[in-house]
Amino acid sequence: MRSKLPDAASSRKMAASSAVVAILASIWLCSSIAADASGSSSETTMHTNNWAVLVCTSRFWFNYRHMANTLSLYRTVKRLGIPDERIILMLADDMACNSRNKYPAQVFNNENHWLNLYGDNVEVDYRGYEVTVENFLRVLTGRHESAVPRSKRLLSDEGSHILLYMTGHGGDEFLKFQDSEELQSHDLADAVKQMKEKHRFKELLIMVDTCQAATLFNQLHSPGVLAIASSMKGENSYSHHLDSDVGVSVVDRFTFYTLAFFERLNMYDNASLSRLFNSYDPNLLMSNAYYRTDLYQPNLQEVPVTNFFGSVMETVHTDSAYRAFPQKNTPRETRIRTGNTAEDDSRRSILTDMTKAECPFTRIVSSLESKMETVGNLDSLVNYGLVMILPVLVVSVWLST
Amino acid sequence: MAEIAESPSTTEHPLGTVGASRSKASSSALRESDVDPKTMRTTTPGLKRLFLTFSVLLSFLLGFPFLWKTVEIYRSPLPFGDMDALSKQIESSPLQFPCHFQSVFLNFDSRSSGGILDPRELRSSILSEMTKLTSQTLERQCGSCGENFTLSVVVDSGDRACRQSDERHGNGLTPNCSYKCGALGALNLGDGEAVDEALRSALDESCSDYGGKLYTVVVVNGDGAGEGPKALVGKHRHGWISGRELDAEAMIGRMAEMFVKIFMNGGREDGAIHGEFMPVGADGRVVLSFSLLNANPDDWFYDWDFQKLDDTLLNPVIEALKPIANISVESQVLYHTPKSSFSYWDESLGSYIFSTKDLPFFVNSNEWHLDTSVAAGGRTKILQFVVYVPSANECPLSLQLPSGEISKTNGFISPMWGGVMVWNPQSCIKYSGSGPPARLLMHPDDLHRIFEVLMGQLRQLFGLKSDSIYVGAAGAYKLLPSEKGFTEWQEHKVTYCLLLFCRELDVLSRQHTCFNLHSSGTTLGSLSRLVQSLPRMIIKDEIGKQVKFSLEAAQLAQTNASVGLYEASAASSRQARSLAEDAFFHPSIMSVSYFSFEHCFAVYSPFFLPVSLHVLLAALREWRRYKQEKAKYVRWKVKQVKAA
Repeated sequence: MRSKLPDAASSRKMAASSAVVAILASIWLCSSIAADASGSSSETTMHTNNWAVLVCTSRFWFNYRHMANTLSLYRTVKRLGIPDERIILMLADDMACNSRNKYPAQVFNNENHWLNLYGDNVEVDYRGYEVTVENFLRVLTGRHESAVPRSKRLLSDEGSHILLYMTGHGGDEFLKFQDSEELQSHDLADAVKQMKEKHRFKELLIMVDTCQAATLFNQLHSPGVLAIASSMKGENSYSHHLDSDVGVSVVDRFTFYTLAFFERLNMYDNASLSRLFNSYDPNLLMSNAYYRTDLYQPNLQEVPVTNFFGSVMETVHTDSAYRAFPQKNTPRETRIRTGNTAEDDSRRSILTDMTKAECPFTRIVSSLESKMETVGNLDSLVNYGLVMILPVLVVSVWLST
Repeated sequence: MAEIAESPSTTEHPLGTVGASRSKASSSALRESDVDPKTMRTTTPGLKRLFLTFSVLLSFLLGFPFLWKTVEIYRSPLPFGDMDALSKQIESSPLQFPCHFQSVFLNFDSRSSGGILDPRELRSSILSEMTKLTSQTLERQCGSCGENFTLSVVVDSGDRACRQSDERHGNGLTPNCSYKCGALGALNLGDGEAVDEALRSALDESCSDYGGKLYTVVVVNGDGAGEGPKALVGKHRHGWISGRELDAEAMIGRMAEMFVKIFMNGGREDGAIHGEFMPVGADGRVVLSFSLLNANPDDWFYDWDFQKLDDTLLNPVIEALKPIANISVESQVLYHTPKSSFSYWDESLGSYIFSTKDLPFFVNSNEWHLDTSVAAGGRTKILQFVVYVPSANECPLSLQLPSGEISKTNGFISPMWGGVMVWNPQSCIKYSGSGPPARLLMHPDDLHRIFEVLMGQLRQLFGLKSDSIYVGAAGAYKLLPSEKGFTEWQEHKVTYCLLLFCRELDVLSRQHTCFNLHSSGTTLGSLSRLVQSLPRMIIKDEIGKQVKFSLEAAQLAQTNASVGLYEASAASSRQARSLAEDAFFHPSIMSVSYFSFEHCFAVYSPFFLPVSLHVLLAALREWRRYKQEKAKYVRWKVKQVKAA
């Protein structure tokens, strides 16, 4: 069963926000800094490491597919060799532990349920309400409070290739975060510019799966940035199919076909980026994938996808040891038997107990949901209040004339 | 609405109760019936209403600066001029350190070498060789001496008669720092280590830390044992060339190469690791994380006495690197950590082989949980050193080089990440007893060998070679290991140039100083641009302080560098960089959390705009009314005058 759920942010929301946006856009405009002196160094530096920032910006159960999108990418980059400590995973909601999830602690991106994306070792760095525009920009620009642990930081350097994947509901030059705030294309461009200024990346691939995703790249000007979007301006990005067991759409089309491409690859493959780009079929996507390559120098046919989606280490053989230390001749003693194996066993059993315990997040999620309802009431209260102000204003104006 | 005129008795209504104004009319020549209330009035218009409305408006206007002050954004004053000046200065003129070289020609009799050696002539020919070498290799390398070096030449003919080039007072060295005539009279050239010590006591003692380092090359003529000239480089700041019947002219090329390639450039190959990759965190700290990985503990599992290793071998290294980085050490032992690349059995070599092609896939990032350091802050660099113990079904495991040889070290590095070394247990015999396998402690000798490789990798990460021979264009140079210095450290805890050679430490200090200053200059420059482009951004006092201290530290580093205090300048440049980074990455600088003027307007206008509009309109209306009334009065006055 195929369905078409667009990832466009609702028009009501857009209208409401556009007034504020008009005012605020100018702020972000001026917050860009001139980065001119950084062009030359990127060519000389060596690619040393890979990072991935994977962001799902949507809350609520019906946005299941966005989390599945992000987790699919997470699985792919991990499989292709980027270690967990170099992946920043941001999930705005926890579908695995949602009370509506028929398969607790499991997330699928296909109705055949072959692949559990929430299987083992999913390390979520920012979850729930931590996924905000501010935190996202802090991750990119590196301006954290000093107490933020290393695992939550993007500690890239001038030799890093970074993959930035974002999915959620978006529109013309914005991406919605958490149904409450927006990331503007100006914000993104500004953050990228600041990263470039501080040599936080060598090459950056931005991949966005949302409606009108191409518009998000309009303000980018920093060299070394490659961008892929699921749809052009005015187009929607649709979901791929509905899982009738889960009850919602489980994956978006663009990400689905991206994964279809990557599932055929392993770490040793050197399929090029242009092969990935050519694999997108507009008829299957129901939108036109968009690539922005004007800021990116290398020829895409020569750049393997593992430059961004995997981690291929640059290695140098150690020619010689440093023999400057005095040898001391001590008698050889070999086997030392220690009796701490029993202790190890007991530790192991404790661990297995822990895995049997129930998912603690279902409880938190249900309490959050009850809170959400009161928040909804508050919202309408504020709306009523605003309507009440109008007659008062009319009366006061009428009295004064 | 009632309008009030100045005198209380004359209450005038616009609707036309003219009869009330009687008192004034009596004095006039006109009769009251002549006064048209629409165009004229007989009394002066009152000022009370005007005064009241304007006083309200005025209070609003007076309150406005107060409001402006309260909503003002706090910006700590930053020295933009100094910041820009620093970044421009570092951008335009790279830092150059003073280096002093000295060459001593020992036992060069004017008779034996056929002709009198003129120190001045020698000096100029060595200098020209050196400039040739620096211009072709160093290409403005950061932290080199550039053209900022001095050279003095001494010819000691053995009979206590020295001739010197007269450069010594111009180079900023104290006279007692340079070579004292006849100090190397009896030099036994047999034992390299002894020569090294003799040279050190003769040369280095008095000028360890003054006005830049003095590098000396001694050419000893005469009783050399070997046939050809032999070149050695000691562990301090000198080298010597010895041989029989040496031709002074022929030595010039080798001498220049020794000065430039080894003393100035640290004997490193250009382009091995790019200079920009400095494995030191932005806060000037490095964590060395040592991990022992047991691929399959069901076969065997090893443990190591890391504490002892740390105390005896690692500490001197950390001490030696202190001016460059603040290093801390941690270690761990991990189990069930298979590698992720493949290996195959090679019958002829008798071991399992993995080739250099597989190296990028060797590190199994999903199973090797190396990054465990909680102590490391956000910008600290972590260098991983991994000792991999293969499992029984891939033991022994060897690295094959592209040439087909088996690697001697069995290890490799990844720049900025760290190093990996495969250590094969003595006998690859699987433990086959009942129950879990025994925990094996690594033998100290094994540990020692592992440590040598790991130190080689650490040096490689810092861009230093570990070979004991450096082959240049003019010949090979034997580099003496500093084994003795190490034992010295163990006995006396003297940290003077031991684990790393003095000359290498000098090179590292110079390069790191240059890199740190460059980095802090660009960071401060972009911070200044950022802050100036955002007039509504809050700048905390903390940022101001960090910028100030960073500038001061950079200044200090520059002055230290110019007088040749390498270690001190490295330390303060590190501080400058760390402070500049702290200021740039201050969490309060976030584009979404500060507000433009438009935002400020949008926030405050609902409070004041509705009322202030009314006040302004009222004031305008009052003013207009007053002018109208005044005109009426004037018209009446005119009419009165005409009538009179």
